[in-house]
Amino acid sequence: MTASILHRAMLNPLSLAAALAVSGCWTAPVADVQPKGEPRLIQSGIGVESVKDPAIVQSVDPSARTLVLSSRQGAARTYQAPPQVPNLDRIKAGDTVRATVAEELTVYVLRDGQLPGAGGTRETITSDARVLWVDPSYCLLTLRYPDGHDETLKVGLGVKLGEMEAGDDVVVRPLELRSLQVQAR
Amino acid sequence: MLQSWRAETRTNAAPLSPGALHAGTWIAFLMLALQPLVTHAQITPDQANQIRNAIGNRVEALAILAGDYGITGGDFRTTGKFEGNETIDAEMVVTKLGGAGDFGMPRPVGDLGIGWQGRLQGNMGYVEATNRLHSPLLEGDVNNFKEYALEFGGGARFWLSDGLSLAPTVLGIYGHTVNSYTANSPFMQANFVRAIDMGLVNWSVDTWTLRTAINIQYLITWDRTRIKLSSEPTYYHTESFNSSNANVSLSGDSHSIATTIDIDVPLGVELFGHELRSGGAFERTDLFGDLRSDLEVSHIDEVKGRVVLDFLNELWKVQWIGVSASYAWGTKFSGWTAGLDVVFRF
Repeated sequence: MTASILHRAMLNPLSLAAALAVSGCWTAPVADVQPKGEPRLIQSGIGVESVKDPAIVQSVDPSARTLVLSSRQGAARTYQAPPQVPNLDRIKAGDTVRATVAEELTVYVLRDGQLPGAGGTRETITSDARVLWVDPSYCLLTLRYPDGHDETLKVGLGVKLGEMEAGDDVVVRPLELRSLQVQAR
Repeated sequence: MLQSWRAETRTNAAPLSPGALHAGTWIAFLMLALQPLVTHAQITPDQANQIRNAIGNRVEALAILAGDYGITGGDFRTTGKFEGNETIDAEMVVTKLGGAGDFGMPRPVGDLGIGWQGRLQGNMGYVEATNRLHSPLLEGDVNNFKEYALEFGGGARFWLSDGLSLAPTVLGIYGHTVNSYTANSPFMQANFVRAIDMGLVNWSVDTWTLRTAINIQYLITWDRTRIKLSSEPTYYHTESFNSSNANVSLSGDSHSIATTIDIDVPLGVELFGHELRSGGAFERTDLFGDLRSDLEVSHIDEVKGRVVLDFLNELWKVQWIGVSASYAWGTKFSGWTAGLDVVFRF
């Protein structure tokens, strides 16, 4: 009796493993692939909040309340600083900061970096990153930047994550600064 | 009402990290084990041996219950007939803070088509169990156990496919158990010193437990809903190494297999700027070895429910914050837990 119960209980995980082992091999996520489907715009205007840590201040214009930051996530970008970001006049070029910024993403399926336009023309899109991983359950979009750095972003419920996949091209448009902390001078 | 707090870590790639051993498994042990220590007017050597064996299992169960991650805490109560026709009131409160999780993104193992990531598990726990004895011999006596325990260890999770993974782990549990007995019955008042000398009551003991397990997990994503199927065969070996009484010592082996289905459902509705998620789990834990034979408990069932807010990627490493409750039942006991549910993902 005991032996049969033990046998049955041990069989559960073993049969589970055996039955599911045929489901294919594990593959590491890669962004450098051509996504399926025709070149197209998947979605634009995807608002995200990104943390640049560290970021280097390239320049500051206190009167215009703008800040140019460079980070591992790509080229230097200009952000508008709203009034609630204090002490902008104390920030200097060369400062290392931790910046939380608002950005807007546009996601494409491109072929050779191009998108078909009207009248058979082809529009060249300069991509800032590529999609590495999509998690529709928790609304997460992981991007891989050209330097190999990855960043996971939370997106809204209305974002078409179900249509996105690894290899999609992403254009990042800087919007505004949300908060700023100086780390080193 | 007990308020318990839970924290567990999870990772990006393996978001549903399993609890090692769930509360229900051990509730039964304690409910059965917390029976009167002494039931006759004379403490014969044979009776003393039987009692010592029972004490060993009791300590083993307490050390694992307090030290092993899986149950958050709870208030477990039973009143009724137990083995030996003794009637007892038993209450046990379990308080724990612990976590288990896989960290980092899976990395390839050569060209084998397998990914791996590290896994850590830790816990600290406190259990207080009180019996109010109502047998004719021990009417009015109160037996109390306090258990402090720490657990730490780890292993690795190996991804054989995008859904199937195996996670072997090795952990150690340190436990410190204190027994105190209040003798109100004429019998125990007459035999109290003898019972103490024999190591039957009013003792303390330190234990170590080696815990080895392999978690077999399969993740299914259906639309945005995540379903986790898992099974975890676990082996425990417990020994005492320091005791206030030379007659109190133990060495025991326990086994369990926990089979779980967990469902995590995003509701598509935001509350306070965060998506509301619901979910629940059903778990059956089969017991083997000493605990099964000595305590006559074959399996425990437990059902859990939760409502949480999604904070993933928005608040440090917090995956969600919410409330959860669970109910466990077996042949001779029932128990519940309720409290704050906080889950981390690293």
